[in-house]
This record gives sequence, C-alpha cells and structure tokens, in this order.
Amino acid sequence: MNSQFIAFFTIFLIHTNLYAASMQYDMRVDGLACPFCAYGIEKKLLKTEGVNSVDINIEKGIVIVKTKIGVSFSEHQLNQLFHDAGFTYRSMKQRELR
Amino acid sequence: MVQNHLISMNLGLSAYFLSSLAIAHDPIFSIGPHVLYKNGVEIATELHGEQSEHSENTLALEFAYGITGDWAVGTEIPYVIAEDENGTGDLNLYSKYRFWRFDTLGVQQSAAVLLRIKFDTGKNEVVNQSTDGLLGFTYGYESIKWYRWISARYQYIGEASNNLKRGDKIFADIAFGFRYSTPVYRKPDTVWYLELNTEYGMKAKQSNIELENTGGRQAFLSPGVFLTLRNFAIKAGVQIPIYQDLNDSQQKDDYRYKVALEWHL
Repeated sequence: MNSQFIAFFTIFLIHTNLYAASMQYDMRVDGLACPFCAYGIEKKLLKTEGVNSVDINIEKGIVIVKTKIGVSFSEHQLNQLFHDAGFTYRSMKQRELR
Repeated sequence: MVQNHLISMNLGLSAYFLSSLAIAHDPIFSIGPHVLYKNGVEIATELHGEQSEHSENTLALEFAYGITGDWAVGTEIPYVIAEDENGTGDLNLYSKYRFWRFDTLGVQQSAAVLLRIKFDTGKNEVVNQSTDGLLGFTYGYESIKWYRWISARYQYIGEASNNLKRGDKIFADIAFGFRYSTPVYRKPDTVWYLELNTEYGMKAKQSNIELENTGGRQAFLSPGVFLTLRNFAIKAGVQIPIYQDLNDSQQKDDYRYKVALEWHL
C-alpha cells in the first residue's frame, strides 16, 4: 500500500511538472523570404515577458515561440508586433509542451 | 586642368553618393524598398571605389534607425582615398519610406521612396563642394528563391562656390537575385545578384556656359553576392561598363566595386 502510494505520488509529480513546463505558439506569418530580414521578429518577441525561445521556419512561414506557462498573445498584439517587424501576421496555433 | 579633374572626379563621387545606403537585401548598386524593423539599428561599413585613369576609393561608416516598421532614417560619413588627396567626404542624411507592402507565403512585394541630402561638409580637395539631393523610387519582389527590383533616381547637384554647376544625373536600374538553397534561420544564407545599372549625366555649367567635356550615358552589368548569418551580412559586387557614351574626351570607367559589412541590432 505504502509503495503503491509512493509510486502514484511520483508519477503525479512528474506529470504535473511536465504538464506545466511550457507553451508553444506556432504563428503563421506572410512575407518571410530571408533569414536576415526575419531577425527583427526574433528581437521583438524575445523582448516579450515570458518568451523563452524563438525559431523561424522561413519556408513554411511559421514563427515558433516557446514561452513559460501563463503567457498569452492577443491578435491585436501580434498584428502590431509583426507589422513593426515588417511582416504580416495571419494566424496562430498553441499547444502545451509536456 | 584643375577644373577638368574636379568635374571628372565628380562623375565618380556622384555615382557613389547614390549607390550606397543599401539596407539588407536591397540591390548592391541601386536602391530597393527594404527598411529596418521598428526601433532597429543598422551599423554598416562600406568600401567602394572606381578605377579609370585615376583610382578613387571611399570608406564609409553608416548608421540607420527604424522609426516605424516602414520608415527608416540614416546617416553616412565617408572618408575619401584618392591618388593625390585623402580626407573626410560629405556627410549624408537620408530617409526611406515604404509606402506599399503586400505579403503572401514566402513572398514580399513592396515599394518605397527615398530622399537623400549630401551636405558640403567634407574636405574641399576630395568633394564636390556643393549640397546635393536625391529622390528615388523603387519596387521590389522578394521570394525564397527569386528577387527582382526596379528603381529610378534623380540626383540634383547644387552649384559650387566657384560658380560651377555640375550636371544633374538620372539613374534607372533593374536587378535580379537568386538563392540556390532554401534558407534556414540562424544558418548561413547566400543570394547571387545581377544588376543592370544605367546613368545619364547632364552637362555641367560654369557661369551658365555648358562645358563640353561633361555629361553622357553609361550602362553597367553588375554581378554581386550577399552573404548573411543571422543579423550579420556581407555584400560585394562589381560594376562592369558595357556601354559608355561620354561627351567629348572624358575618362571612361574601367570598373567600380563595392564591399559592405552590415550589422543589425
């Protein structure tokens, strides 16, 4: 009984930790044609509180942003951010990283 | 003789005054619609020059700032290295505004206007001794594989203190770029360029009398390359004359070149 409880508790802790680890946002952006020009996107996103990393798939026009749990982006915020960087924001998908 | 040298030297100086200030994937010897991201800073250093009977090289330091995502301002401070004289060139200020942009997946089309003013601040022996202005228009199509641009510029050259009014210049350019491999963020990227640059120079006037050995038409074929790694870029190209119809007995260009290092902050 005691060992069953410890095993259950350990799994619960691991699961909770991973579940709460981070979020990933995949942002569809139009106008991306070169890596040098995309640098402004990375710079602007990394200034946002809670953003851990930014990667960019130029070919697919996707900006991949990993954040801490609890960070969210509004449509208005992303429209403005990408406009200031010289591109056009289209849509976003989000998922929790376990 | 001195006057002839000054006027002929002016042809080179005028050309380079115009050809610099390329931001990011703009063509090397003409202008493109690129601006900086909002609050972005560009620091660039550039070596350009021409070889004819005389050689002349200019080392320039350039700063640009993105006021908005569509509007950049900048300044350039050149240092001229001629065969017989060296010294600080004229300070340039410029502003570029991208008034139209259309984005689709992997493609950006845009158009911009450019205004540039060159002030008579340099050492007299190496500059035109006039305040000049430039107005330009450019359209660009940029995709992951192909680039193409067109541009037109008019350069007004002011009257120098010795009553010498050098001829204004008109520039028309078409440029292409090609990227062989798919670009990957944070990996080195290479784009190959080929430009056709045409120039028409009007005759200079001294006390309202036209000087015969000034002005004319030139066309250049200009291959180049643009290498980048994240926020650092190297740009290099050479202008090879393919047509030169210069009035009277002026020196013809053998070639012109440009190498630039660009850093975005």
